[in-house]
Amino acid sequence: MRRYDIQLNINDELFSLSIFPQRTLLEVLREDLGLIGTKEGCSEGECGVCTVLVDGLPVRSCLLLALDVRGRKVTTIEGLSKNGEIHPIQKAFIDEGAIQCGFCTPGMILSAKAIIDNNLSPPENEIRIGISGNLCRCTGYVKIIKAIKTAAERIRRGL
Amino acid sequence: MKYFEYIEPKDLKEACQFLNEYPEAKILAGGASLIVLLKNNLIRPSHLVNIKTIPGLNNIQWDGREGLKIGALNRHRDILFSPLINKYCPILSQAASKISSPPIRNMGTIGGNLCHGEPSADFPPALIALGAKLKLISTKGKRIVPIDEFFVDFYETILFRDEILIELIIPNLPPRTVGTYIKLDKTHNSIAIVGVAALIGIDEKGICTYIGVGLGGVAPTPIKIKRAEEILLGKKVEDSLLEQIAREAQAIVNPITNIYASDRYRKEMSYILTKRALKESFNNALKI
Repeated sequence: MRRYDIQLNINDELFSLSIFPQRTLLEVLREDLGLIGTKEGCSEGECGVCTVLVDGLPVRSCLLLALDVRGRKVTTIEGLSKNGEIHPIQKAFIDEGAIQCGFCTPGMILSAKAIIDNNLSPPENEIRIGISGNLCRCTGYVKIIKAIKTAAERIRRGL
Repeated sequence: MKYFEYIEPKDLKEACQFLNEYPEAKILAGGASLIVLLKNNLIRPSHLVNIKTIPGLNNIQWDGREGLKIGALNRHRDILFSPLINKYCPILSQAASKISSPPIRNMGTIGGNLCHGEPSADFPPALIALGAKLKLISTKGKRIVPIDEFFVDFYETILFRDEILIELIIPNLPPRTVGTYIKLDKTHNSIAIVGVAALIGIDEKGICTYIGVGLGGVAPTPIKIKRAEEILLGKKVEDSLLEQIAREAQAIVNPITNIYASDRYRKEMSYILTKRALKESFNNALKI
């Protein structure tokens, strides 16, 4: 059994790792890199709490081998805040009361980022499809959808 | 997951050689299905051959003679948003929109979806209705297999263990051919209880120039309604003939009872949704 030496780009930072090939990206993020914002839920790609962005697109880190994201840009929830300032989407979630237990929130916010990056004025239908891969057991999604609309509006207005 | 050796072939030839050399190797494409199997210890491959590193397997090209050629490594999202697919065979894009959720659509590939061999997958009924052909390759050469011969049994395809699905070919359809994919699921985009794809083509007189019907979730494999052509092709499309095809669907499906639905319900819904898909396709074709 051998380890594979790889370099990963996580939130614009390069990490050199020596890992067994069967390690998932989720495991490596949480256990090797201490980035515990990304969560483990169902472990089989259905619940969405493990969602991260790879080259800007939401994917399931629990179903990705860490080896498989070499040379690609990985964004976790930790990568959204810049210079100690939270991202407008994070602020909108707080302002709109879209967070209860918070467990779905990192994945949900990353999906929201992908929705808004794709369309600065997403209609509700697009928002609903965009978060259809993120399950929330607390909120009933209403305020989450509102928060995404608010975030998009604020980003459009350059706030 | 159990340990495996990880390989990134630089081209198809190398990939085929690796698969030939390592009898216990498996192909890694999107991983949306494979990694789940690995995590549950349902498969324990010695090697994973990551074919995403091979260039040229995710093109989509239209060939005037042969039809639309779709690389097997196109992800569900690539199918969904492809201008060529939305132009020549939008039923495939419709099927893609019904698969799971955006993150899975961003990872999973159409090739992987087919090779996984799930009886209720969304692409197979649409591809069956389209009369798709599959190009397979190994160290022993290439072969072309019609889609309705590709599925052998529950999660089992006709692929040899060292064979790679590299391309799907959608033959050109007659003008004024319209398709509909209807998916009956318990929650949004969850696993299909019954999936029906129906494609109807008509000429100016309303005579059927094309008919293709595929169903998923109602048998150990996705199935084709073979008698549909006998019933409708070359005849004036009318409700009684669509009814016949829908009743044929109900007669030949062989569904199971599970936590989502009973076999009786699936049989009944095979009839209802086949009728509905046929009518919708026909009405949309009339509008062209």
